[in-house]
Amino acid sequence: MKHNHIIYILAVASFILPSCQKVIHIDLNAADPKYVIEGNVSDQTAIQTIKISKTVSFESSNTFPAVSGALVTITDATAGTTDTLTEGSAGMYMTTAMAGTPGHTYQLYIRSEGKVFTSTCTMPQPVTLDSLYVSKSVFGNTRGAIVYTDPAAKGNYYYFAEYKNGVQTDNIYIRNDDLVNGQVIDQTLSRGGGESKLESGDYLTISLECIDSAMYQFYYTLQQTKNQNAATPANPQSNIVGGALGYFSAHTSSSKSVLITQ
Amino acid sequence: MNHKSGSNTGIRYIFTLVLIFSYLITSAQKFTVSGTIKDKKSGEALIGATLVVVSDPTIGVVTNEYGYYSLTLPKGDYKLLFRYVSYNTQEIPVMLDKNTKLDILAEPEDRQLKEVVVSSKVSNVRNAQMGMTKMNVQEMKALPVLFGERDVMKMVQLLPGVESAGDGNSGFYVRGGAIDQNLILLDEAIVYNPSHLLGFFSTFNSDALKDVTLYKGTAPAQFGGRLSSVMDVKMNDGNDKEYHVNGGIGLISSKLSVEGPIVKDKGSFLISGRRTYADIFLGLSPDTNINRSRLYFYDLNTKFNYKLTDKDRLFLSGYFGKDQLGLGSVFGINWGNATGTLRWNHLINAKLFSNTSLIFSDYNYNITVNNSGFSAKIHSEIRDWNLKEELDYFSNPKNTIRIGFSSIYHTITPGAITGANITTTNKPDNHTWENGIYISNAWKPNSRWNIDYGIRLSIFTVFGGTDMYELNEKGAIKDTLKYGSSEVVKNYINPEPRFSASYTLTENSSLKAAYTRNTQSLHLISNSTSSNPTDKWVATNNIIKPEIADLGSLGYFRNLKNNMYELSVEGYYKYSQNQIDYKDGANVLNNDAIEPKLLFGQGRAYGLEFSAHKTQGKFTGWISYTLSKTETQINGINNNKWYNARQDRTHNLSVVGVYEASKKWTLSASFVYYTGDAVSFPSGKSNILNQTVFYYTERNGYRMPAYNRLDIGATRQLAHKKHYSSEISFSIYNAYGQQNPYIITFQDDPNDPSKTQALQTSLFRFVPSVSYNFKF
Repeated sequence: MKHNHIIYILAVASFILPSCQKVIHIDLNAADPKYVIEGNVSDQTAIQTIKISKTVSFESSNTFPAVSGALVTITDATAGTTDTLTEGSAGMYMTTAMAGTPGHTYQLYIRSEGKVFTSTCTMPQPVTLDSLYVSKSVFGNTRGAIVYTDPAAKGNYYYFAEYKNGVQTDNIYIRNDDLVNGQVIDQTLSRGGGESKLESGDYLTISLECIDSAMYQFYYTLQQTKNQNAATPANPQSNIVGGALGYFSAHTSSSKSVLITQ
Repeated sequence: MNHKSGSNTGIRYIFTLVLIFSYLITSAQKFTVSGTIKDKKSGEALIGATLVVVSDPTIGVVTNEYGYYSLTLPKGDYKLLFRYVSYNTQEIPVMLDKNTKLDILAEPEDRQLKEVVVSSKVSNVRNAQMGMTKMNVQEMKALPVLFGERDVMKMVQLLPGVESAGDGNSGFYVRGGAIDQNLILLDEAIVYNPSHLLGFFSTFNSDALKDVTLYKGTAPAQFGGRLSSVMDVKMNDGNDKEYHVNGGIGLISSKLSVEGPIVKDKGSFLISGRRTYADIFLGLSPDTNINRSRLYFYDLNTKFNYKLTDKDRLFLSGYFGKDQLGLGSVFGINWGNATGTLRWNHLINAKLFSNTSLIFSDYNYNITVNNSGFSAKIHSEIRDWNLKEELDYFSNPKNTIRIGFSSIYHTITPGAITGANITTTNKPDNHTWENGIYISNAWKPNSRWNIDYGIRLSIFTVFGGTDMYELNEKGAIKDTLKYGSSEVVKNYINPEPRFSASYTLTENSSLKAAYTRNTQSLHLISNSTSSNPTDKWVATNNIIKPEIADLGSLGYFRNLKNNMYELSVEGYYKYSQNQIDYKDGANVLNNDAIEPKLLFGQGRAYGLEFSAHKTQGKFTGWISYTLSKTETQINGINNNKWYNARQDRTHNLSVVGVYEASKKWTLSASFVYYTGDAVSFPSGKSNILNQTVFYYTERNGYRMPAYNRLDIGATRQLAHKKHYSSEISFSIYNAYGQQNPYIITFQDDPNDPSKTQALQTSLFRFVPSVSYNFKF
């Protein structure tokens, strides 16, 4: 929560200080393509998906080459079962027989073009999203607000995925229980002046995900990479071993939806 | 082992100097002329004024920080020549057949005839010090300013080897050093955050200031604690002859100063305050985000001094400033510095001047958050108590010895969070003790050499009471070490030799050389591109070591046309150890242990500084140009290879001109150009969570576009009478409206989401301002 004060400071400053913006051209190097892995194991389904793609240069269009033909397996180390995923559409690897279980440890193994990537993630115990309602943020925008109860034991990490009309928004909301352990949390999901607006007729879904601390660190650093206000910008901290960008997240999720009427 | 043998050498060195010192006391058998040099009209003591013997101008003395001088000469009749910039020179006859007390009242030049801007008050050719500039605050008034505020921090940035940290940032880089490597002192008290309004203004109200001296890493032994520079700011003492009020009304702030005698010729006071009022206009805005916003600051400078006896004088000075920023009742932050200095000047005898100071200094910020069911207060503070003693011994015209100590007790309160439902336990305060003992001598062996040499022994003691950590080879916490609050965790002892010398080639030219070592035990942790009130100071401990820098410099100085033109070239090389940087993605803002997020390495910086200065005439000004390189190497960053520091600026040019067009009008302009900061830009992009995420491959591998800006100003004298004067100043900051980048960000093109683009944000284009100043 504490880092939020920067948002407020910048917001107040931007209301008051004169500034102007323009699009400029900068010659940026084209780095060698790097693997980008997005892996999820959820407790809500037996269908788990791993997406593999590559980076492109800044000047390229936003189409990211899918990586086909990789060997992808997920192991439930707690249960001692391994599943080999099959490629559906290009770069999308799937299993339909691995229901996520809280407390279980999952291992990801990927082999592609002679490179090996691995990751390990333990699914935390679930927390239920008690309610979702519509509220105003301090900046006057219509936002979703959520209520849930943090468990008594310390060390809970949350990621709140936001979907507007079924499409995930680019807002990244995370929270931990450092300051508010064991309490009923009632919070508006707002990230400052630049947040995308919700309007009457929008259908809002929030999914509360319980994540582990490495995934919290991933989302935290992803926020920093996106904000681009650090003196030393860097890539989000991946929990994947072997030199890839991205993440492997074993999480629980609990979601609610609401129709914006105001 | 290094520390130990080093400190022994240091102690031996000090003993030798003390021996010389005592020898000099017993052997002197001449007469001494001594006293204080003051401004005739205001009674302000003049710092760094020179007195030389007319018949042999190589014999002379410079007044100390309290305007005191002492000159011991064989019996005889002398004429002494007084010289000080913007004062009339005076010849004073002295019959020296006994010890003589001679206070000198210096007459200010008529400003109407001669407008001088920033100039060194000591002849830059003869003085041993290099890498030093003294500035006269009153003389800066002709320069163009932002928002009508004359700001010494901005003026300093126009000097060679000093670089602005950019628009909206009052910080500066000296010879490749970071912002936190500048020791900023106000009447000897450390100012931890010298910025107001997020860096658009500095904490220094120029109406209350007398003298600003900047040492670019070559400070004498009485200063310590920062690697790159010392900015020594001294407040006015206050007029001890008559009452005066002066003030200024500007577009966004106003200020008022009152000064006068407490008892005529014995004591005086000065009170000076200012406040911005831009926030009043915010309330008029129909936009609820703006009219609920608060953003203002105020500050107050006060000083009292009183002459108790002919030999004792007391000074009490204080500064208090506060910034407020907020958004309705949802969010508020206030921050500010407070300093206090109590000083006692005592003349032990005509040749031995003592000053004892008790100094308090504090910086704190408070945040209140009250949003969606979460309400909390955060408080953080750094607080110093400092006891200093310093003796100036004017032993003979060839040697002036300075010996002293300073003992600072630092208390740092990390962000302590309180609130109704807060379940965290706050960290206890961190206590450290910073001691320095020093001795130095200004030695003039003959008419060609001026040599200042000395040593400072720094002793930094880390106390327990807070958790200390032991890290494994990966930098993660292996063990938490518990120490009692009075237990000493570690002592760091560092001898810091200081040496600078000038060799006079001809009457008007000299060569200078200097070597200094500086150490720094407090470090500013910040990972933001702009200065932020919540950047935190962290003390050296068992893992974070004192930073050490060795600086060597060489210079050639030449004056032309009876000192009308001053030219200089200085070159420097600096090597720094125990430099601090952050691991990629480190969150340095929360209260978790900071040590596992830091990496340590080395730095090097080198450069050439050229300066040409015209000090007299209707047209005055200077050109300064610096060619430099600053690099860092830290294991764990940039594949362990050397990389450009953010403040690495190849070229840095400042041109300043002031023209006195008529008796009433003064015109001025300043121009700056510098290479853009070294920054990290993406070298690719990826798609994560269905959005574009940029991909970074190297640290500081790119450059911001070069910065350039012209400011112009004009001042018109409205009234100039004996008891009342006033003037009106106009200025335009960024006169040709250059869009200098404040930040460059990358994003999906809003018009074509299949593409990405670079977006440059600039602050300030054409900022005009007008201010009205008066004095009676």
